[in-house]
Formats: sequence, C-alpha cells, structure tokens
Amino acid sequence: MSASATAGPRRAGGISGTAVGLTILAAALLVAILGPMLVPHDPLVQELAARNAPPDALHWLGRDHLGRDILARLAAGTRISLAVALGATLLAVLVGAGLGLAAEALGRWPSFLVFGAFDMVRALPSILLALTLMVALGVGMAPLILALGIAFAPHMALVARAAWRRESAAGYVAAARVMGAAPLATLRRHVLPNIAGALVTQASIIMPRAITTESVLSFFGLGVAPETPSWGRMISGATRFAEAAPHAVLAPVLALCLVTLGFALAGDRLRLALDPLRERGQ
Amino acid sequence: MSLAMRAGLGLARQAMLLAGIAIAVFLLIRIVPGDVVDSMALEGSLDEEAIAQLRADLGLDAGTLTQFGIWAGRVLQGDFGNSLRFDMPVADLILAAVPTTIGLATLALAFGMALGIGLATAAVLWPRSVLPALVEALNLWSIALPTFCLGLGSILLFSVGLGWLPVIEQWLSPVAILGLDIAGQVAKPLHEDLKEAATAAHIRTARAKGLSPARIVLRHLLPNALTTVVALGGLILAGMIGGALTMEVLFGLPGLGTLAFQAVSGRDYPVIQAVVLVFAAGVVLVNWLADLAQRALDPRLRR
Repeated sequence: MSASATAGPRRAGGISGTAVGLTILAAALLVAILGPMLVPHDPLVQELAARNAPPDALHWLGRDHLGRDILARLAAGTRISLAVALGATLLAVLVGAGLGLAAEALGRWPSFLVFGAFDMVRALPSILLALTLMVALGVGMAPLILALGIAFAPHMALVARAAWRRESAAGYVAAARVMGAAPLATLRRHVLPNIAGALVTQASIIMPRAITTESVLSFFGLGVAPETPSWGRMISGATRFAEAAPHAVLAPVLALCLVTLGFALAGDRLRLALDPLRERGQ
Repeated sequence: MSLAMRAGLGLARQAMLLAGIAIAVFLLIRIVPGDVVDSMALEGSLDEEAIAQLRADLGLDAGTLTQFGIWAGRVLQGDFGNSLRFDMPVADLILAAVPTTIGLATLALAFGMALGIGLATAAVLWPRSVLPALVEALNLWSIALPTFCLGLGSILLFSVGLGWLPVIEQWLSPVAILGLDIAGQVAKPLHEDLKEAATAAHIRTARAKGLSPARIVLRHLLPNALTTVVALGGLILAGMIGGALTMEVLFGLPGLGTLAFQAVSGRDYPVIQAVVLVFAAGVVLVNWLADLAQRALDPRLRR
C-alpha cells in the first residue's frame, strides 16, 4: 500500500467514489427540485382499496398503508428532507460559526460564556436534544429546522474555533490588529475567507446527519406535521405494516441510505480539496 | 499540575455544565404553552377546584424560581417526582430502564472496540493483505450507513423476511449494528496512528535488533496508540448513546430510549426531564473519565 493510495479519494474498479457520490447527490437534488413533475400521481391522494398494494406497471413502487403512491411520496419527501437538512445546516453555520467566531474575536469572557453554552448543548446526544426541543416547540417544518440547527450548532462552533485559532496564529491577523482593525472587521474581512473551507467541510458532515435525525424524529412522531410526506414520516407510517408491505418501508430507507452514502463519498473529496493542511495539486 | 488536581478541576467544570443543563431543561419545559394540568383538564372532566388543587400539589402555582428551587432540591435527593402516565415515581422507572441501556452500550462498545482495535492491529502487521482495505471499507460503512437505516433493514430482513426468533434478534442486531459502527470509527484513526508510529526511531531500533513484527506491534506500538483509542472511546460512546436510544425503540428493548420515547409521545414532562438529566450526567461522566484516563495513560499530557 503506497501512501497516495490511502490518502487519495476512494476508488473501486476505476470509478472514483467521488463521481458516484456526486451523481447520487445531483440526482437527489434534481428530484427535490422537479419532484412532483416527475411522477404522475399525487402524494396525498388515498386509495383505500389499494392499501399496501405491491409494485405494478402504474405504481412502480407500490402503494402504502393508506393506498398512496410510494414513488410520488418519495419524490415529494426528497424535497422536504433536503430542505429541512439544508435549513438546519445553514442555521447551524449561522448560530455555531457566527456566534462562536464573534465570541472568540471579542475576547476571553464572551468566548467562555458562549462555548460554555455550546458545551451544555453538546453534553446531550443530538437525538435527545432535538427530541426535547421538539416537545417544547411542537411539530412542523420551522420547529424541526430550529431544533436540528441548535443541536448541530456546537459542532460547527468547535470547528470554527479551531480554524480561527489556527489562523490567528498566522502573521496577517497580528498585522491587522497592529494596524488597528476592529476585531469583528478582522474576522469578517481577513479570517472568514480563510476558514470557509473548514466550515463547508463540516457542513457536508452535518447535512446527512440532519437528514437522518429528521427521519428518526419523525419516527418518534415529532418531525414534520404528520400528513407531510417526509422520508421519516413514510418510514414511521409504514413500519406498523412491515409484514404486509415491506416495500413501503424499504423505499424510504433505501433513499435515506443512498443520500447519506452520496454525502459520504462526495464529502471525502471535499475534505481533501478544502483541507488547508494538505499540499495543493496532488 | 498534579493528576488529582486536574481531576478535581475537571469534575468541578463538568458539575457546572450539569447544573446549567438542569436549569435549561427546567426552563425548556416551562416554555411549553399550557402545563400538564391543562392537558389533563382537556382530556378528563376536572372542575375548577380540582384543577387548583392539582396545581398546588404539583407546585405549579408558585413562581418559577421557587419551583426550580423545590425541583432542584428534590432532584439532588434522587426524587424526580411522579410520572404523569404511569403513576409511579420517575426514579423507579429510570432505575428499571438503566440496566438495559448500560447493557446494550457495554456490549456494543466491547464488540466494536475489540473488532476495531483487532482489525487495525492486524492491518499493520499484514500491510499487504486485504486487511487495510477492510479498515477503509468499514470506515466508509460507518460514515455512510446510519444505524437507524441498518436497524430498520435488519428488522425487515430477519424478523419480517426470515421470521427469526425476536428475542435473539432483539439483542443481536442492535449490538452488531452499533458495534460495527464503533469499529469503523475506531479502526481507521488507530490504523493511521499505528502506521505513523511505526516510522519512529525506537521502532526502527527494535526492528534492527531483530524483534518480531508481532512483538513490535503489541509491545511497542499499541500501548502508545492507546491514548487515541481512549480519546476516541469517550467521543464515540457519547455519540453512540444517541444511536442506542433509537435502537431500543426499534427493537423494543425496555431501556432509557424507550422510556424517553414513551414520555415524549405521552407528554410526560417529569420523565422527559429526568431522562435528559440522566443522559447528560452519563455523557458528562464519560467525558471526564476519558479525559482522566487519557492523562493517566499519556505522560506527555500531564505537563
């Protein structure tokens, strides 16, 4: 095993994992945008006579326990699951990196307080934290995004702080300080562009976890509103009828696995490309 | 700074964290519009007098600060109040659920660590075999496949598809799924660590004087890499607890996760508060122990 083989992106049989990952993600994004246009059925229309019907020529993935078309729900769910994950990740970046960096730039005490709060959040498993927040906030898209964003913010804050500390040891931050630049201005103008890579990388780790957590929360009956066709709601609705209609569980579970796999494969390359400690051009 | 002093300071910091979490949890439940008595009044036919009586009994008519004082005082004595759904002391419910959760976590951790450490060590010993690729594959497995998906897949395959005995499936699947996840997270960093350590001067000396590769790895490399394992172990255990919680609900194991699930769906606030606090205390304790063990194992960190 040469060093480059283990350090480079994953490869199997000449096809790079990155290409596979990016293809999966692009397909998921396409389905999320086009969603309803791709499938000729309504994800909400129930046909009780065809409950748990297996796949046929008209309904490619079959029907669920209320006779709704699974493919249509899967497509609609892609949009919702991706939107929730994107919203939660953006919120985690804003709250985690924003608050963390501002506190760190402002000095010792703000940093102590803010990171103390983040440590508290971090002491709870993210599932349990989001669960508790959802109990307080109620179900729905906005509470869900808020709960997931808060749950993942500390991870972002820690990455941002580590990157900021590495950068502030560099000469240009000291130079800006000597020239009398305000701390927050230094942060925005000089440091932020340099640590953006680390933040994007962390975001690529948080996204799939947010998608999974959404599903688990919905499984617990707490995610989006019950009638909304998210992957988690599809799974939780179908598990009670797993004996009669395993295909209704399998479809959203596979979609979930596929997207997390896509993030894992594509994120690998992203980490390599954006890692400032790695030599460029290899 | 001495180890004992470090330990004391660390413990004080973790206790402060826990106190902060207790306050946050208490306030969070108070944010919920309408209290328990409201929801009970909606369901049953309580008259005004009974409602006022119930509020007084539960201490809901006092100010928030007084309520917190009373609640915190009781919690410190191990009294989490009564469950609203089960009409039982919350502490009893928790005590009944803890062994299952600890058992699941311990089994998964033991299996995962043994597999991860064993695989990484073997991969260093036989670098030209298939083992290093296996380390990579296992790592991708744990990054790419959420334990939630694997749990559901396993239920579909074994319980629904093959009709296996649920009792075996109930424990075997969660332990295997969580364990593989842990092994994937441990094996890769440990493997990298061992490979890097193998280039050190004292290893070259050991090799030059003719020690066998197995002896070099087991006696000289692995002890030094243990700090990596312990540091990872603390992090992984904290992360795995979330997964264990989901596994319990999926496979119907009567642990803290199932208790939390029931409490959340029944809006059983005293139980939710208690479960969150117990989990937080567990994670805080594990972090403290991991930090301590790391310092005890690695003299370089004691400075």
